[in-house]
Amino acid sequence: MALLDKFAAAAAIRDQLRSGGPDPTRVVIDEIISPTEGMVEGRHTILAGTNNYLGLTFDPDCTAAGMKAIATQGTGTTGSRMANGSFAAHGALEQDLAAFYGVPYGMVFSTGYAANLGTLVALLSPGDAVLLDADAHASLYDGCQMSGADIFRFRHNDVGSLEKRLQRLGERAHDCLIVTEGLYSVMGDCAPLVEIVALKKRYGALLLVDEAHSLGVYGDHGCGVAEAQGVMHEVDFFVGTFSKSLGAMGGFCVSPHAELELVRYVSRPFIFTASSSPSIIASTREALHQLKTRPELREKLWRNARRLHEGLKSLGFEIGPEVSPVIAVRLGKKEIALPFWNSLLENGVYTNLMVPPASPDQHSYIRCSVSAAHTARQVETIIEVFGQAKRFMSMP
Amino acid sequence: MNTPMDEIERRICKLLASYLETSNFAELEAHGDITADTNIVSDFTLDSFQVMEFMMELEESFDIMIDVNSLSNSHTVRDLARIVSHELDGSTD
Repeated sequence: MALLDKFAAAAAIRDQLRSGGPDPTRVVIDEIISPTEGMVEGRHTILAGTNNYLGLTFDPDCTAAGMKAIATQGTGTTGSRMANGSFAAHGALEQDLAAFYGVPYGMVFSTGYAANLGTLVALLSPGDAVLLDADAHASLYDGCQMSGADIFRFRHNDVGSLEKRLQRLGERAHDCLIVTEGLYSVMGDCAPLVEIVALKKRYGALLLVDEAHSLGVYGDHGCGVAEAQGVMHEVDFFVGTFSKSLGAMGGFCVSPHAELELVRYVSRPFIFTASSSPSIIASTREALHQLKTRPELREKLWRNARRLHEGLKSLGFEIGPEVSPVIAVRLGKKEIALPFWNSLLENGVYTNLMVPPASPDQHSYIRCSVSAAHTARQVETIIEVFGQAKRFMSMP
Repeated sequence: MNTPMDEIERRICKLLASYLETSNFAELEAHGDITADTNIVSDFTLDSFQVMEFMMELEESFDIMIDVNSLSNSHTVRDLARIVSHELDGSTD
């Protein structure tokens, strides 16, 4: 096979995705009007698939912080922190995040993907064992694989499956790392962290929780699912992202373990990447402040999530039982999902289409993510447009 | 006592047929009998998710754990049988 022949399979997938209209993976938002509205192909479109949970991307204090940082610190850092030096704000954000989680150590990375990759490759080595939830994000899989550790998957959110694997590991269970997410971003379900923590303690393992989609969403202070379930102090490593509730770009790891400080010296995805630009760090710090001081954002987010969940359910759509700001509508066949998604877009609602193998089973899904910035009217419009697209469900 | 390889292969063939049947794979009928030489990916166009799902079924059926890394060079039922045999025996070769 010639080197480039392998792209024939990707071309076939692309052609299939384009067959019913615009390619769902390449939607262009020509103009961003607000955190929840943009112009797509000349149409006013409600953005219901952007993970902008708190709607802070246009918050005046966040944008002002970003602009001030550009004016005073420049547009970029022009290199990695190890080789070219950290700006004071990088360290300040690390301290903000550590304090927010009530732990002494924090690190920021240039993306959420790099945070998972960079943390896992440093924590794990060949010969170590990692127990990974089967539905974990690709960045968690990639970090585990890049580390060279032995990777054993347990069934998604299945505590029995996890315990069976801990038992099979025998003595190795004392040294293994359990990796889960807080809120799973595809189906919008939460990890049973109380039970997972109980197992971690019983077998002496360490636990890493990715709160990428749950930061700012769950818990009295918005720390995530571990806080909401009352087990924050049992988690060894929290990882997360700035690109969802915090409305910017980047990632972090915080931990009660002093060894996190040494991750800086051994983590290639940290060492060999340019550091986040001053504007990103500044707007993220301000967004974290907003997250902490404006609990009403979370209240509005949950009000919108409950209404959308209830509205779609009352239309007869198959959605998960758990109410969360991520709502996945199961559509079954890809042949139905594509025109369904396209109908939503044509009627002014942007969502995410997930088809196998990117979905967690053999079904296709439309995923919505709710924002605190959605107005009640926008939520009602999303429900109405879903109702109109329902006709595609009866397609042969 | 070690489980003979051909018995492991037979069990994997049966599990694969059952998985493909449950998942309504159209290629199953055209393919004919599943043998040790059957390529689980290319013969049935299993996607990466389905391969991982089938691996989970294999783990539960044989009551073993399979390291995800060990699958990268495993394509056929025979390749999988070697991995299963290795895990069943607890050998290090």
